[in-house]
Amino acid sequence: MEKKPEWLKVRYNQDAVNEVAALMRDLKLNTVCKEANCPNLGECYRKHTSTFMILGSVCTRNCRFCNVTTGHPLPPDPEEPMHVAQAAKRLGLRHVVLTCSTRDDLPDGGAEQFAKTVRAIREVCPGTTVETLISDMQMNTDALDVVIAAHPEVLNHNVETVKELQAAVRPKAGYERSLAVLRYCKEKDPTLLTKTGFMVGLGETDEQIDRLMDDILATGCDILTIGQYLQPSPKHYPLARYATPEDFARYKELALSKGFRHVASAPLARSSYKAWEVLEDTHDLY
Amino acid sequence: MEKELTMPKLRPEMKDGVLCAWLKEEGDMVTAGEPLFEIETDKVVNQIEATESGVLKKQLFEEGDTVDVEAPVAILETK
Repeated sequence: MEKKPEWLKVRYNQDAVNEVAALMRDLKLNTVCKEANCPNLGECYRKHTSTFMILGSVCTRNCRFCNVTTGHPLPPDPEEPMHVAQAAKRLGLRHVVLTCSTRDDLPDGGAEQFAKTVRAIREVCPGTTVETLISDMQMNTDALDVVIAAHPEVLNHNVETVKELQAAVRPKAGYERSLAVLRYCKEKDPTLLTKTGFMVGLGETDEQIDRLMDDILATGCDILTIGQYLQPSPKHYPLARYATPEDFARYKELALSKGFRHVASAPLARSSYKAWEVLEDTHDLY
Repeated sequence: MEKELTMPKLRPEMKDGVLCAWLKEEGDMVTAGEPLFEIETDKVVNQIEATESGVLKKQLFEEGDTVDVEAPVAILETK
């Protein structure tokens, strides 16, 4: 294992983690923090923050950067929307981030479960904002319409990497399709804040990153997150490099100069990391 | 009172971890929440915080050792 740079150190407190983990277990909920082995789990759980992963912990896709298990998922749990809302209330979340395993096995890609969960949160936690980090739902506009109609404050869908690496890194997804999802959602409801993210360290060049930012911005996207790819295991897509904090600062400056409304760019920035702060920063947009 | 601090299970499939650095020496005072030692995983280096305050009485492993999940790593003398 290559030696980790100094900036990839995180804090971990077992008691704090146990407390949030027990709540999730009680309510039969999954978090992407745990399933994706997120490096920020210790920090976020200590702050009583987590990102709910609805529609089960088993994914129908096999993206090579991702730690989530691939397989045959179970049908959606009808109690899950209310359980998420109850967990959000117990954690006292001001902003709830919902993500999912990609459910190509479901006709609506899980859109209805997203909508039900957003509605349950609205009912149980009035005033709480919601961010849906969705799959591409195979660019099924009927499915996307269901999510849009639930009107989360932020609609997030990650492009993950530059155009040139899509086939190798996320073989069952696609660059144009992900951009189309972002474009469609923004056009359908311009009051939605749209958000996306990509990783660096997969072998992309700065020129490719520059074009990626242009392509994302052309969809009308408001918020961009950029973080370091961290290889979950030796079996996953190989790490090409550790970008430095200075590199991330440069990417942030570039993205802001192009016109993104908000950019989170740091080695440990993730789609939902400090999502509330991001939303606060863009509050004039909603 | 002596209290054992154990190797945390940082991810579901983790069976052991490499203790890559001690951040406190034997005899040092440790406050709950202070980082005590570091474990390297595939993704990052985790600084493991003490969950109680006390004096670090004994380091049970050396830097570079592989430690089983839930095995005692340190003994803390607490009040």
